[in-house]
Amino acid sequence: MSISASCIWPRRWLLLYLLAHLFIKELYSLMEECHKIISVCVCVCVCVCVCVCVALLLHRGECRRLESGLRLSVGCPVLDELLRGGLPVGGVTELSGESGAGKTQLALQLCLSVQYPTQHGGLNSGAVYICTEDVFPSSRLQQLISDQSCLRSDVPPTLISRLQFSDHVYIEHTADLESLQVCLSRRVPLLLARGAVRLLVVDSVAALFRCEFQASDWLERTKQLLSFSSTLHHLSQEFNTPVLCINQRRHRDPPNPGRQEAPPLSSNVSPALGLAWANQVMVRLMMRRLQETVARGNQRSALRRLEVVFAPHLARDGRDAAVWREGVRGLTGIVGVF
Amino acid sequence: MRPVSSLSLSPSVKVRLVSAGFRFTSDLRGLKPLQLSKEASLSQPEALEVLQTVRRVVGGDEGGGGASASLTALELLQKEEEELRSIVTFSSQLDAALGGGLPVGKTIEICGAPGVGKTQLCLQLAVDVQVPSCFGGVGGQMVYIDTEGSFLLQRVVDIATAGVRHCSLLAEDDEQRVAMETFTVETILSNMFLVRCHDYVELLAELHLLPGFLSAHPRVRLLVIDSVAFVFRRLFDDLSQRTRLLNDLAQQLIAMATRHKMAVVITNQMTTRLRGGQSQLVPALGESWGHAPAIRLLLHWVGPQRMAAIFKSPAHMDSTIQYQITSEGFRDANQCEQPQSKRPRRHTNQPAASQRVTSC
Repeated sequence: MSISASCIWPRRWLLLYLLAHLFIKELYSLMEECHKIISVCVCVCVCVCVCVCVALLLHRGECRRLESGLRLSVGCPVLDELLRGGLPVGGVTELSGESGAGKTQLALQLCLSVQYPTQHGGLNSGAVYICTEDVFPSSRLQQLISDQSCLRSDVPPTLISRLQFSDHVYIEHTADLESLQVCLSRRVPLLLARGAVRLLVVDSVAALFRCEFQASDWLERTKQLLSFSSTLHHLSQEFNTPVLCINQRRHRDPPNPGRQEAPPLSSNVSPALGLAWANQVMVRLMMRRLQETVARGNQRSALRRLEVVFAPHLARDGRDAAVWREGVRGLTGIVGVF
Repeated sequence: MRPVSSLSLSPSVKVRLVSAGFRFTSDLRGLKPLQLSKEASLSQPEALEVLQTVRRVVGGDEGGGGASASLTALELLQKEEEELRSIVTFSSQLDAALGGGLPVGKTIEICGAPGVGKTQLCLQLAVDVQVPSCFGGVGGQMVYIDTEGSFLLQRVVDIATAGVRHCSLLAEDDEQRVAMETFTVETILSNMFLVRCHDYVELLAELHLLPGFLSAHPRVRLLVIDSVAFVFRRLFDDLSQRTRLLNDLAQQLIAMATRHKMAVVITNQMTTRLRGGQSQLVPALGESWGHAPAIRLLLHWVGPQRMAAIFKSPAHMDSTIQYQITSEGFRDANQCEQPQSKRPRRHTNQPAASQRVTSC
C-alpha cells in the first residue's frame, strides 16, 4: 500500500481490522483450549468405563488387559530362571553391552522363541526386527533355525519341524530417524494389529541418536528420544507386545559425584544414551564378554555374562552364558574355563 | 438466651441438665465437655452433643455470637494422634527418620535415578499400609495408579508374602493371632486397587473421578502414583501448560490427602540441569513442582550402597539413611535376618573388591 493510499484509508477501519485480527487469534486459542477441555471430558466419560482393578483379580488371572503376567522365554532354562520366566510382555526391555558381547545373538534367539506356543514359553506369533546399522545376519538366523531341536530339547521335535520360522521374522532396515518413525507408525502397527507379530526388536537404538545429533543439540535429541520411546510404549501397551531395544556401550566417564546411575554389577562400561533413555526403560539387561573361553565337544566360545542391572521384579544378579552354534545358553555350575 | 428444655436433646439429658442447675443456654457458655459431663453426670459424647447443639442454636440466634468452630493446636495434635497414625514400614531406620513412619494426610515425593528402588518402596508401602492396627499399622486399603507398567504381580506377591511372614513371627498375644487370620496374601491383594494410566489426560481424568471412589471406599489410607514424571515429561511443546496442569494436580492431591485422611506418595524421575557449564542431577518437573509435596525423599547411590535422604520436610530433620532392596522388599541395610542365597561370584577381570556387591 502506497503512502497516499494509507492516508485515505480511514484510521478507524484500520483499528477495526486490527481488533478483528486479534479477536480471531483469541478465538483460535480459545477453541484450542475448548478442544483440550472437550478431550479431557471425553476421556472422563471413557474413564468411567476404565476399570479400577483389584490386584486379587490379577492374581487369579482376570483383568488380563492390565497385566497379563505373561513372559517371553529366552529359550534357555538357566537364563529364564534369571529373568523369572523371561521378558515381560507389555514393557520395554533394554539389552546393552559392548560389541561382540552377543546381544544380536540373543535377539535372534528371541525372534525364534516367540514363535512357539505359550505352553513352551512363546507367544504363538512372529517378530519384527528393525536393523539400524548393520545388515541383518540372515545366514546366522538360518543356522539357528536348523539347530532349534538341539537348543529346545523340551519341545517335541514334531512341533519344531512344523513351525516355519523364517516366514514369521519380518526384517526392516532403517538408516535414519525419519524412516524409523515411519516404520514404527505405519508398518509395524499393521503387523501387530493383524496378529502376525508379537515381538519388536530394535537393533540398535544408540546408533541413530548418537550420530545424528551433535553435542549441542542435546535438547532436540532428548525430544526425539522421548517421542521415540513413547511410540514404543504405546505399541507395547496397545498390542501387549514385548519390545527389546539393543543399546551400545560407552566407556564410563571418570567417577563424578553428581552421576547417579545404577552401577553395573562389575564393570566400567555403561549403556549409551544417558539418563533420559534410562528413565523410559523398564528392564535393563547387560551382556558382557569375559576373557575366559569355554569348550564343549569341538566347539569353543568366549565366556559371556548376562546381568540384570535393574528391573521391578528381578534381583540384581547374573548368569554365565556361552554362544554355541544352536544359540545362547546359560551355564550352570563350574564349567571348564581356561 | 433460651431455656434448656427447648433444645432438641433427649429428655433424660435435659432432666439431668436442669437438675444440675443449667436452666438456660447462657449457663452452658464457656464450658468444656469434660466439665459439663462431671457436673451434670453425663457421658462425654452426650456432653459434647449438648455443647454442639447450644453452639449451633446460639450461633443461629445471635448471628455469630457464642463459641466459634475453630480448633486449638492442642486439639489438632490430639486429633492427629488418635486418627492419623503413621504408616509403619519394615525399615526401622526410615521410620525413625520420619518420626514413626510415613505420615498420613500429607503428600510425599520419592525421587531417584532409574533402578534405585522407587517402585520397590511404593510396593512395600502398598503392603505396609495394610498391616493390622494391633501390630502398630494402619489397617487400611490403598489405590495404586501405575503409569509406567512397573506394577508386576510377581514382585507384589513376593513382598506380600514376606510381610505376612514377618508379622506372623511377631504375633505374641491372641489379638494379634486373630488379626493374622485376616492378614494373608489374598486379603492383601484384595485391598489393593490398581489403575493403569497411559498418558497425562488419563491420569488427570482418573484423579477427577477418584474422590467419588474414595467416598465409596472410606478405608483407603494410601494413594500411590508411580510415576507422575513419566507422563508429564513428554509434554515438551508447551511448558507453561505443563506447569499449570502440574499445579492443578498438586492442589487436587493435597486436598484429597487432607479430606480423606490418606497419604499420597508420588514418584519422580531425575534430570540433568546445566548450570554454568556444570551438570547437576535434580528432580524432574521443575522448581514449582518442588513446592507441592510436603516431604521429599531422594534415593541415590553412594558407590554400591543405596541411600535415602529426606531433603524437605516441615516436621523432620534432614537426614540420610541406608537401605537395601532384598527379595523381601525395602529393608534396613544392616539387617541380616536370613542369609542371602546368592554368594558373591568371582570373576577374573573384576576390578578391585570395592565394586563387589556385598551380601551377608
